[in-house]
Amino acid sequence: MSPWKLITSLGTFHKWLFFLTGFSVMMSAYILPLVPGLIIQRFFNDLSDNTSAGANSWTFLGLIVAVGVARSITMVLGASEPIFHAVVGALLRKNIFERILTHPGARSVPVSSGEAVSRFRDDANAIGMFLSWTFDPIGQALMLVLSLVVLISIDPLLTIGVFLPLLAIVALVSQMGKRIERFRKANQEAIGNVTGLLGEMFGAVQAVKAAGAEGRVVGHFRTINDARRRATLNDKVFNEFLESVSTNLANIGTGLILLMAAGQIREGAFRVGDFALFVSYLGGLSVAAGFVGQYLTQWRQIGVSVNRLTALMQDVPVTDLTRHGPVYLHGPYPDLPPVTSIGVDALELLEVRGLTYRYPGTGRGIEDIAFTLPRGTMTVVTGRIGSGKTTLVRTLQGLLLSDSGEISWNGRTIDAPDTFFVPPRSAYTPQSPRLFSESLRDNILLGLPEDQVDLPGALHAAVMERDIDTLEDGLETMIGVRGVKLSGGQVQRSATARMFVRPAELYIVDDLSSALDVDTERILWDRLFARSGITSLVVSHRRPALQRADRIIVMDGGRVVGQGTLTDLLRISPEMQRLWHGHYDDDEEGDDDA
Amino acid sequence: MPTVRISPRDYWRLLAVYLKPQWKLVGLLTLLLLSTTGLQLVSPLILRQFIDRALDGTALNTLFFIASLYIGFAILIQVIKLFETWSAEYVGWTATNNLRADLALHVLGLDMSFHNAHTPGNLIERVDGDVFTLGNFFSRFIINVLGNLLLTIGVIVLLTRIDWRIGLTVGLFAAITITALMIFGRFTSRRFMAAREASAELMGFLEERIGGTEDIRSAGATAYVIRRNHEFAREYYRRHKSAMILGSASFSTSNLLTVIGMVVSLGVAATLYRDGAITIGTVFVVFQFTQLLIQPVEEISRQLRDFQQATASIGRIRELQAIQPTLADGPGAALPTGPLAVEFDNVTFSYGLDQPILRDVSFRIESRQVLGIVGRTGSGKSTITRLLFRLYDPDEGAVRLGDVDLREVKLADIQTRVALVTQEIQLFHATVRDNLTLFDRSIPDTRIEEALERLGLHEWRATLEDGLVTMLASGGGGVSAGEAQLLAFARVFLRDPDVVILDEASSRLDPSTEARLERAIDTLFAGRTAIVIAHRLATIERAHEVLVMADGQVVEHGDRETLAADPTSRFAEMLRAGHDLVTSTEARP
Repeated sequence: MSPWKLITSLGTFHKWLFFLTGFSVMMSAYILPLVPGLIIQRFFNDLSDNTSAGANSWTFLGLIVAVGVARSITMVLGASEPIFHAVVGALLRKNIFERILTHPGARSVPVSSGEAVSRFRDDANAIGMFLSWTFDPIGQALMLVLSLVVLISIDPLLTIGVFLPLLAIVALVSQMGKRIERFRKANQEAIGNVTGLLGEMFGAVQAVKAAGAEGRVVGHFRTINDARRRATLNDKVFNEFLESVSTNLANIGTGLILLMAAGQIREGAFRVGDFALFVSYLGGLSVAAGFVGQYLTQWRQIGVSVNRLTALMQDVPVTDLTRHGPVYLHGPYPDLPPVTSIGVDALELLEVRGLTYRYPGTGRGIEDIAFTLPRGTMTVVTGRIGSGKTTLVRTLQGLLLSDSGEISWNGRTIDAPDTFFVPPRSAYTPQSPRLFSESLRDNILLGLPEDQVDLPGALHAAVMERDIDTLEDGLETMIGVRGVKLSGGQVQRSATARMFVRPAELYIVDDLSSALDVDTERILWDRLFARSGITSLVVSHRRPALQRADRIIVMDGGRVVGQGTLTDLLRISPEMQRLWHGHYDDDEEGDDDA
Repeated sequence: MPTVRISPRDYWRLLAVYLKPQWKLVGLLTLLLLSTTGLQLVSPLILRQFIDRALDGTALNTLFFIASLYIGFAILIQVIKLFETWSAEYVGWTATNNLRADLALHVLGLDMSFHNAHTPGNLIERVDGDVFTLGNFFSRFIINVLGNLLLTIGVIVLLTRIDWRIGLTVGLFAAITITALMIFGRFTSRRFMAAREASAELMGFLEERIGGTEDIRSAGATAYVIRRNHEFAREYYRRHKSAMILGSASFSTSNLLTVIGMVVSLGVAATLYRDGAITIGTVFVVFQFTQLLIQPVEEISRQLRDFQQATASIGRIRELQAIQPTLADGPGAALPTGPLAVEFDNVTFSYGLDQPILRDVSFRIESRQVLGIVGRTGSGKSTITRLLFRLYDPDEGAVRLGDVDLREVKLADIQTRVALVTQEIQLFHATVRDNLTLFDRSIPDTRIEEALERLGLHEWRATLEDGLVTMLASGGGGVSAGEAQLLAFARVFLRDPDVVILDEASSRLDPSTEARLERAIDTLFAGRTAIVIAHRLATIERAHEVLVMADGQVVEHGDRETLAADPTSRFAEMLRAGHDLVTSTEARP
């Protein structure tokens, strides 16, 4: 997206605030600072002429104060700049976050969540900053034109003589700015590595502590920090160099005036007041020229930030990043959608044909999967690790975007499984469910109105009812980061309750057994079956589930290698036999070894 | 809002700790700064010479010389400034990187209860975000404010030499301006602190939700989560806005005060000129000096604005540093060498205010023995392993390793002697090697290859593009949950612990893969004490003793074979009820 497009699309988001930003910055930084120079010129010229009375000096000085007051007022209005910048940041974050949440859920961001957060913070801020600087070049152009007109009217030759070399140098310096983009990118990557590692480090704190690896992990952190320091130093020093060149040009320019105008000053043709005016404008202009350089740099760099943010949104038109929409910084929040029931589209038959997904890079995944789920049946997907069980249920639900294949619901082809396979059609418990640092109740309901759903029923179905009594504040217990205050089994069952509290036709469960003991698991299946008309797709390698299943799908190497009832499969499928008997064989070996 | 009071000593301490190791560079930086300050003061004096001499009709050649001198100084300032920037940034980043590392280490050393209450996103903001704000403080604040104060004082001294009334006027206004800024600063600092906190919360929220999109999507909870985002975003916006408005007001006040200061001193100079006391060149120098003063005063004000943010950050950093682990490291009693016995002696424990999760738990395993712990989920099994690692201390009773109370032993010793494999494994965005050794560079490649081979991961190893130095994607992308669990085993194989704990460690494995693991576990257990928490008979089968937990209590403990043979034991009942799988503690119809 071109910076122009960025300005027009985001600037129009909050027009009056945007223009207030423009007005205050133009007045306070570019237009009003020109006035005192003119007054100072008169002041010095009057003074050296010795013609007017002393009182006149004070009139001039009074005028300067008046201009100062006006400038101060516009400076207060200048607070609109960071405020606008924050509004833009809120819009960008909202757009990206919304997009991330509509993306196939299992691969929602291409980077670690820590790195994603650093982009949310730094890149969104960089764009906000860029936007709030939009009026600076306009102010600078106005300032340049106005001051040139004034200066040329005093001494055209001197004006050109002094300003041409200055402009040449500014142009040269801003040409060099192309390198900045490279420095910037390297710098941003280095920052991402640092925040990414911090996120992983604090996310895995128990493992790090248990291994006594605190010092070593921090050692690695130091290495990454050093790399970031190098990248930042390149970026910053180069930037500062460009900036300070333009600022110090004022002094060199003053020196040039002295050289060129020495004769005229001696003869009284170029007066002290004129000199003061030249010097004062030169100061302002070179600061402005510095901004031109800085702005041009921003203009080039901003693409990096835009790209990094669009990368978070993955494969969407870049205009989605800047799409206008309410950000709810004031007033009431949006209503949540009501709880819907399935209506006439109750599940009769789900058919899957040729479903294929390959992970980018490794090429592993699932290949040509076909099966059907009739209403009221329980189907178990089983197979050894890495055989594609999780990939299968994720791809079915659109949490991974299938490469090919067809899914149909009651004979109707589903084009967008990711928006289709949600309540009230299906609900899901992932293999490693994520809970959030809120209350247990909020984690289970996730925004559902409690009076419209059966929360006690869901807790019962998930065999969670007894745990509630043992928790500090029952359902109101704040469960900590990712639910750490709960045991592994409690996390899994909370997620299961989260699934059951959502009315659905099809319940999909990925490997519930990993944190549940057999007894609890058996009660869970009992309660699931007690609900009439429930269709379920369950990933498991546990016998209670396999024995319950109406149909079993055996996976190996990403393909279905057997399908049917347990009895049939045990007869005909070698892989099923291995899975079923695997650990028995081993028990014997283990005993032999012992 | 936190109310840590920041005293000057806090700044000084931070500076002392992190700048001291770089004293040479800091010295150079100071020198560079003094030179630019001096050069800036000399420049206007050259101008005065020029103007007065030009009006006197001095020879053109002299004027050209003076003009060239002026230009030469301008270029010199430019060059020195560049060096100054480089060294200031270098000092700043070195200091803040050290602070980052120290903070990270401090945070990692805090109790699990702290980590349970703080999201990784929030901690990123505190370890990286707050320190970033401080970067400016380290590199420029002291030096810039010092430099600019020097410049200010220099200007006032020079003006006083021209006429004491001008010096007094300018000095007075400079003092008033800086005081006004300080007063503003106190208020804005608090607001900036609040804004930064809201930013940390917003980022923590985002980090957690981005990690849980699969759950959010499939639960149809997108609209709800987006609304929560609006709530966090609004809070941040409000606080940010309030801080910024006050910041602008303070900036504009300082501007007005400097303008008035300039005007008054010019008025005085004009009067002196009319009285014939000073030349027009001197009036011009007064103008130049007051102009020169605007920059340092504005700079001081800008630095103060940054300083407000830095103060807010220092407050939050101090707050973080002030949190001490409630588990003090032990005095360093020595553990016996070789395999260790493990003992729980009347241990009662609860997480915070919860009901006790363990009640009066006592058991002992001799060295080289394997203990199986079974029980319903939530019965306290995992808590036992956490206590054994001293991630928490028991409320009552004691945990002993080799007959030494854990509270007497150095944490580092516990960590070397005890190893844990859990169900959840977190992979780093780092090389396979670093993931397996947890950044221990001293472990040779051959040992890693051997561990992978032993765990049957050689096929997986063969798919790695760059071998052991292949970078794993963040969040363990491309590694299945089962493979990740095997990698967790590999981590333990690379160490040589005396006690091994498997906490439901093989639950993600299918029976056939688990079979491969069994022999590896035999090797691992040989000559070591082991505790196994598992759902499967296969793993429990190796246990010499079995402990049955229910509702935080030991309800049965004894020799596995004896218990299994005794039809009245709970364990035997579980064996019958679970058919091939163990672990129920309550008989259910």
